[in-house]
Amino acid sequence: MKDYYTRTLRNMLVIRVFLVPFTVLLVVYGTIIYFFATYSSRQVKNELVRIATDHRNLIDQFLSEKAAILQFTVASFSPDQLRQKNYLEMIFKNLQIQSKAFFDLGVFDVNGRHVAYAGPFDLLGKSYAEANWFKEIQNAPVYISDEFLGYRQIPHFIIAVKKEEAGNAWYLRATIDTYYFNDLVENIRIGRTGEAYIVNRSGILQTKRRSGGRIMESDADFVKYALTDQGETAFFSTGGWRDGFLYASAPFQQTDWQLIVRQSVGDAYAPLLSSILVSLVLLLGGSLLVVLMGFLMATNVATRLKSADMEKREMKTQLILAGKLAEVGEMSTGIAHEINNPLQVMKSEVAMIQSLTDDIGPAVADKAPDTLTQLMDSVREIGDQIDRCSHITQGLLNFARKRENSSEPIFLEQFVPRMVQMVDQRARLENIRIVQEIESELPKIVSDPNQLQQVFLNLFNNAIYALKGRVSPEIRVRVIKNDQQILVSISDNGCGFSPETMEKAFLPFFTTKPVGQGTGLGLSTVYGIIKGLGGDITLTSEQGQGSEFQIRLPLEAQNNTNMQFNHKAS
Amino acid sequence: MPLTNVLIVDDEERFLKTTQTLLEKEGYKVFTAADGYKGMEALKDRRIDVVVLDVKMPGLDGVEVLKRIKADHPLVEVIMLTGHATMETAIDGLKLGAFDYLTKPCDIPTLKQKIMAAHDKRSAMLDKIQRAKFDRIISHPMEVFSKEE
Repeated sequence: MKDYYTRTLRNMLVIRVFLVPFTVLLVVYGTIIYFFATYSSRQVKNELVRIATDHRNLIDQFLSEKAAILQFTVASFSPDQLRQKNYLEMIFKNLQIQSKAFFDLGVFDVNGRHVAYAGPFDLLGKSYAEANWFKEIQNAPVYISDEFLGYRQIPHFIIAVKKEEAGNAWYLRATIDTYYFNDLVENIRIGRTGEAYIVNRSGILQTKRRSGGRIMESDADFVKYALTDQGETAFFSTGGWRDGFLYASAPFQQTDWQLIVRQSVGDAYAPLLSSILVSLVLLLGGSLLVVLMGFLMATNVATRLKSADMEKREMKTQLILAGKLAEVGEMSTGIAHEINNPLQVMKSEVAMIQSLTDDIGPAVADKAPDTLTQLMDSVREIGDQIDRCSHITQGLLNFARKRENSSEPIFLEQFVPRMVQMVDQRARLENIRIVQEIESELPKIVSDPNQLQQVFLNLFNNAIYALKGRVSPEIRVRVIKNDQQILVSISDNGCGFSPETMEKAFLPFFTTKPVGQGTGLGLSTVYGIIKGLGGDITLTSEQGQGSEFQIRLPLEAQNNTNMQFNHKAS
Repeated sequence: MPLTNVLIVDDEERFLKTTQTLLEKEGYKVFTAADGYKGMEALKDRRIDVVVLDVKMPGLDGVEVLKRIKADHPLVEVIMLTGHATMETAIDGLKLGAFDYLTKPCDIPTLKQKIMAAHDKRSAMLDKIQRAKFDRIISHPMEVFSKEE
């Protein structure tokens, strides 16, 4: 029951003091993460688009520069000059000095016949009338082809320019070094998986794709972004965290190609993910610590509250008990007094009858001796019963009345063992061990030894009674000095008091003993005496575990009068 | 033994009557009074040796009666009879000069003993006074005439 109470209290504290702020913290964290993630993904996108645009511009510039060189060449030299092999080779050398991108150089006449060539292959005299690029160059001054195999059976692309002079057209064509060009694009790296490549309008790879895909192969992913090419730089993503990719595509101005920058989603967002993970771990670790601390603190507070509550309750019980006892004390005084008066009358009457029977004894002794004996017996019995009543009222008054205390110095170091000795014989018969723990150098107290004796004997008797039939029965007597008081504790490991009996323990006539075995005045007398001596007595007990009486005695007993009186003496 | 005159003051009529009978059987001369005022009257009229006085009575309280007795008749011995609860008043009584106290219910033999002891004390006191008077007469015989006792 009590534990349930503590747990509820603790849970309440944990929830109110820690979980509520914790929830707020979580909401704040979530919001921050959301905005951070949004911002980061935008950053990732912008970065990808920027890379695509920049490189597209770079390559565009490269292509237009190469085309411009060729245009400059056809404008500067006549076809006759260029047909001369060593002249063309000289120009080719010069071009190669200017840029390693030129692989070979060729001059074609109006019919597409290769009339001059400088380069590593033997292509002189071959006809290109049916070649795709030759058809295309008819319509434009400059043409940049897609990658194709051609006569050499190696993937390459060419830049061709057309020169028309007096209705006679001729062409200059340069092959761009595939490896050189490929490196321009392939060397773009973003993160771990980020790559760049170029595809033409039909999705044929113009440069190598690092993640798989040789030049002139079809890009497997082309369908994903084929439709998004609107001539503008575009960004899109496909798939999820594990298999998804981010794409940025930038169309070229010089050709129909587009530059694709592609990065896996996981790779692109890895920094975001790791920052979220780190902060999450920190948050969780911190919260775990906070919750743990909160739990410990709440437990601590709950335990303290519980013990304070228990103390308060106990104090309240003691107060109620004290009030009750005072009330009962007042009542018992009245009752005892009112009963003692009739008892006095009865006692006189009994004496009277005895006197009368003595008078008539000799006269009737011969006639009815038995009757006389019976009468005498009956009267004596009445006398005994009056004494019994008197004893009870005396007990009541012992509980309630202020009595005349004698004041004698008592050395508890000797007094307590003497008390123990008085019950030792009885205790030994019941196998009860009596343990004495008496502090040495106790100050002497001034009190009434006779009354204290009654207190000790009553408490010992109770303990012996409570220990009946218990395993390893033991009575423990402790005497210690505490401030300006002497603390006497008499405890046993007997049957103990139930909470209900504990409340009534000191009330006169309250007894748990069977009828006829106790009047219920023992503890009430003890209470009366201790109160009369200016002390205090409290009882703590656990049913089935034992009980402890704690007596606090002042060093000097309070005394209203210093007169000593003992009515047996006079 | 000279006849002892006892006055019992108690509000219990039956107690008065029975105790009177019992004590008279023992050879005491017993007077009774049902309250303090009657008790004081009885003391005025008769020579009383010992008063048995109930502490708690309606009307004049036992302690008050004791004070008056001691004021008017200092040589009369008083035994207080208390019903325990009035123990403090009994003790007050002792301080005011009562001979002893008894707690109710008391045995008649005990009562007799106390009465006897009180009477003895009074007799001894009276003897002392007598002897003192006698000594004075012997040393100053003329004073017998000069002073009325």
